[in-house]
Formats: sequence, C-alpha cells, structure tokens
Amino acid sequence: MARDLTSVTSPAAPEAERNWWVHLVLLVICVVAMLPVVWMVMTAFMPRDVAKAVPPQWIFTPTLDAFRVLIVDKGMLGYLKNSLIVSVTSTFLSVTLGMFCAYALARFDFAGKEDVSFWILTNRMMPAVAVILPMFLIFKTLNLLDTYFGLILLYTAMQLPFVVWMLKGYFEDIPRQLEEIALVDGDTWFGAFRRVVLPLMTPSITATAIFVLILSWNEYAFALFLSGSTTKTLPPAVVTFAVNAEVSWDVLGAACLIITAPIMIFVIAVQKQFIRGLSMGMVR
Amino acid sequence: MAEVRVERLHRSFGEFTAVADISFTIADGEFVFFLGPSGCGKTTTLRMIAGLLMPSDGRIELGGRNVTYLKPRYRNVGMVFQSNVLYHHLSVYENLAYPLKVRGLSSSATRAKVEEVAAMLQISDTLRRGTDSLSGGQAQRVAIGRMLVRDADVFLMDEPISHLDAKLRAHMRAELRHLQKQLGRTTVFVSHDQLEAMSMADRIAVMNNGAVQQFAPPQEVFDRPANAFVAGFVGEPQMNILPVQLADGRAQAEGFSADLDTHWLARNRISPGAHDLGIRPEHLELSAHPLPGGFTTTLEVVEPMGPENLLTFTLGGRDFKLRRPTGESDRFREGDRVHLRAPADHIYLFDHATGRTLAQAAFTDRSHA
Repeated sequence: MARDLTSVTSPAAPEAERNWWVHLVLLVICVVAMLPVVWMVMTAFMPRDVAKAVPPQWIFTPTLDAFRVLIVDKGMLGYLKNSLIVSVTSTFLSVTLGMFCAYALARFDFAGKEDVSFWILTNRMMPAVAVILPMFLIFKTLNLLDTYFGLILLYTAMQLPFVVWMLKGYFEDIPRQLEEIALVDGDTWFGAFRRVVLPLMTPSITATAIFVLILSWNEYAFALFLSGSTTKTLPPAVVTFAVNAEVSWDVLGAACLIITAPIMIFVIAVQKQFIRGLSMGMVR
Repeated sequence: MAEVRVERLHRSFGEFTAVADISFTIADGEFVFFLGPSGCGKTTTLRMIAGLLMPSDGRIELGGRNVTYLKPRYRNVGMVFQSNVLYHHLSVYENLAYPLKVRGLSSSATRAKVEEVAAMLQISDTLRRGTDSLSGGQAQRVAIGRMLVRDADVFLMDEPISHLDAKLRAHMRAELRHLQKQLGRTTVFVSHDQLEAMSMADRIAVMNNGAVQQFAPPQEVFDRPANAFVAGFVGEPQMNILPVQLADGRAQAEGFSADLDTHWLARNRISPGAHDLGIRPEHLELSAHPLPGGFTTTLEVVEPMGPENLLTFTLGGRDFKLRRPTGESDRFREGDRVHLRAPADHIYLFDHATGRTLAQAAFTDRSHA
C-alpha cells in the first residue's frame, strides 16, 4: 500500500557505500577499452608521415587528406551504399521472417517442433570459413556472384537463427492469455498478434534487429568472396585499398572510422531501447 | 441473452481424458458455478465454451446456435481470466475500448459505452491512467469491464477473484453477484472455492475427474449431496465419512457407534452390511458425560475459531472433525476424554464401493420435500 514513505527514514536502510575504488576500476577498464578506438580516430586525421612515425606522435596538425583519398579517389561512398543496402535489407528480412518463425515455435505445438528449433540453431554452428568455397560454387552456378540479391539472401539466412532463438525466448515470456482474451474479445488471430503481441515485443524486436544489423554490417569473409566490383561492401573494400605494398595507416584509420561511425551513432541513439529489449524477461 | 446447452462434450489430451461426455443446460440469465478440485475439467469445459479449446466430441449451443467448433469471436461470449489479463501497453480506456475497436464501432459510440461501464464499475477516474498504476481490485474491475462493454450473450469467468486478498474477495463476491443479477446475463463461473460457489451461485455443477457429479442449487448440493465426493468437497471443514457395519438399526465401527432410525432405513431400502456413514462436523453432539447411543474418544486438537471451536479426533485412522459453539466446547482441552453422538436425523449413508448416496439425512427430507 502506498503510504507516505518519504517522511519516514527506515532505520534499517544501509548507508550509501563510498566505493570510490569501483569507479577507479571502471575508469581503468574504460581507458583500456577505448584507447584503440581513440587511436583509430586520431590516425584518421593524421598526415601520412605522422601516421607511420615510430614511436607514435601524439601531437600533430589534423588533416582530412585520408578522407579525401577515400571519398574522391577510391569512391568509398559507393561501398557505403552497398553496405547499407545489403545489411538493412537483410536485417529487415531476417527479423520479419524470424519473428513469425519464432512466434510459431513459441506458441504452437506441432510434430517435430523441437527438431525444427534445433535444426535452426545448427545452421549457426558451422564456421563461415568452412562453407565459403561451397558457397562460392553455388553462387557461381546460380549466377548470384556480385549481386545484391545473393548477398542479401545469404545474410538473411545467416541471421535467421539468431533472430529466431532470441525472439522465441521473448515470445515465450508473453502470457498466452493475453492473446486468448483478445480472441474472445472478438479479434482475429492476426489482429491479436498485431495489436497485442507486437506492441509488447517492440523493445525485444528492436534489440534483435540492432544486433543483427551490426553482424551484417561487419560481415567480412563472405562479402570478400561473394561480392564483386558493383556490390562490394565496406569491410572487404577497406582492406583492398588500405593494404597494398605497405599499409597506409591514415587511410585505414579513416576507413575504419567511416565503417564504425554509423553503427556507433546508431547504437548511442537507440541504446535505451537496446538495453531495455535485451533485459526484457531477465529482470523481473 | 442465451441459454447454454452442452451435450456429451468430450475432450482428451492424448491418453488423458480431461472432460468425459458431460451434458448440462444452463438457463438464460442463470449464474452457474463449475466447482471442483484442480484438474477436474472445469477450466477445460469453460475454455471449450469460450472457443479457446476445441472439443474432441460433443456439441455446444449458445442461445440455440450450434457453436461447437466456431472461433471465439463468432460466439459472442465475454471472459475474465484468473490472473487479470490487461494490455499493459494500453491505457485503461484503451483496454476497455479494445473489444469495441476490433468490432469496428465508431469512436463516439465506443466512448459512450466505455464511460457507461466505467461508471458502473466505479473506475471512471482511472480511465486515463496506465494499467500498471492500478490496485489489484481496480485491475480486476477493468478486466471485468472489458467483458461488460460488449453485449456478450454469456459471461465466462475463470477464478477471477481467487488471487485477491480475503477482504477484497468478500467484497467482490457480493459485487459480482449484484452485477450479475442486475444485468441478468447468463454467467458461468469457474472456482475451486466452495464458499464463493455457495454464496454466489444460482446452481453449482460440482465436477470431478472430468464429469459433473451433481448440478443443483447450492443449498441442495450442501444438504443432499449426490455422492460421497460432493459431500466431502462442499462444506468447510468437510463431512466426516467413515466405513461402518450396519446391523439391527445400528452403525458400528471400531470406537464408533450410532443408532439409526429404522423407519428411515426402511424408507431408503437400506440393507444391512458394509456402508459409508457421513456426518457433518457441526452436527455431532458433544458432552462431558456419556450420551445414550453415542461413543467415546480422545480429543487430539482443539482449534479456537472465535465463535466456534474446531475439535479433531481420530477414528479408524482418519481425522474426524467437529465444530461446536465456543460456549459449549471451550472447557475441553487436547487429550480430554469426551462423549460424542451422531444424531440419527443428520446421518448420511453412501455406497461403500461407488460413493453414491444411498440415503440422504432425514432432516433434509423435511426441508426439501
């Protein structure tokens, strides 16, 4: 019962701990974790000779030379576009398909249900390098090499198991009675799904989508083998033009910044949603 | 408005039979309880009437319409679940409006209807709020309100108040009963709480093992149970039942003896031999001195209940209870030797093998004649 608790101090309330050392530990961990990122950002703005200098120089005049090389000479924005098309589309497809798949596995009883769930999981067990060659041959036979469609198809298939297994757990946490009462109230099965289940699932679906988007965005191995000049995504592209006879550190740094910045900005923007979605059902 | 007619309804889950060929008819406007222990098939039956579960066999009619295999939304029933199920992403108003919205009612008509129901349930001031800020009682009213906004033919309630605290539950019992009479809507209420059933129902269907044991008004279920299960399930504490040998107008067991009315035995065509004898705890007579035709025992537990004391002793390895007013029984302590008598007028006889009631207590012949 909500009585006026503000005017009463509970005698058993423990004092706030003065655990400054926890903050110190956290600070050290943050510095260690952030240092490479900071260095990467700095490298991106270094003139070429400073970037190569040993020992590293901390003070320098920032320049946008590396970005000019990337964007004007190497056409980096084209690869950025490819990355966006492939990862956003495959995320959309895998989340949409996986959502219904997860819902079916969470809600309905059918023969072989456990086998299907496990089979979906096994699709993620094979390491990517083990299937790259067969995939290459399949793509070649089907004329899918260097097409958006091929990459999107592959990424969707790769991410589906993640989506299904993550969402399955979240769907199971939603009481079945919510849908049953909606059915009795006069809704159709799909209406109940859309109006009752989906709104409750929004945080979890968002979190799953972000997770999958990052995986697709960062994917390197398949993109390297299966994309060509017209569809090459950022990760393989960066390697080809930053690592030649010698490594152009400034270009590499700038390229890395261009790859990571969209994801970082995106995650910072939606981090509340992301954390809420991930912790749904875990904290009660 | 509708009568509910169920014919030979059957449902099994694999090998397990949850509901076994039950038939009953609930009159229009009647308030009926399905009462029974968990796993007796009462909720399964309710879910089949709602359309959330399809029967294996049988027929369900609502208002003369065969709805046996119809989807829930074509049945026009309203339902309240055990745990109050609200849509937490919607406000109270949106929760109440949901059934109307999915039926495509205009927003002004929806508003009028929701406000009318909210006023009836005294939750008008909560309409703008989210569902998380509601108290248990308010949340339950919203769940009931969602059932009321539609003109449902039949109301179905699956233990809607069993999780509320005792005081609120007592309040909701009276309120639901009043509401049901006011609306005159056919209502089926599932409960395992016999007090709820006794105080609210027009008729009670006592269920066990997927079958209806007895379907009768509350007082009749209490006074004239159809079998030993009903006798044991309805009444708190439950009826004492003891295997006895019947001979020469007297029922005897180890440490127990009772004189029976020979006219009553003859009228019910009771033959001598092994039977089960039943007597309610409130009907046993208690004395510090020997009673003619009675028996003697040792009290094991004395539980004061305020106006009454609940006394326990053991007979033939079973606990026997008796309930007497405090003034009459508070001088007895645990371990005391006491004299008891089962008055002939209040004794029931059950078939030892099947549990079927062979003879109702004589006092009920007069009140139910």
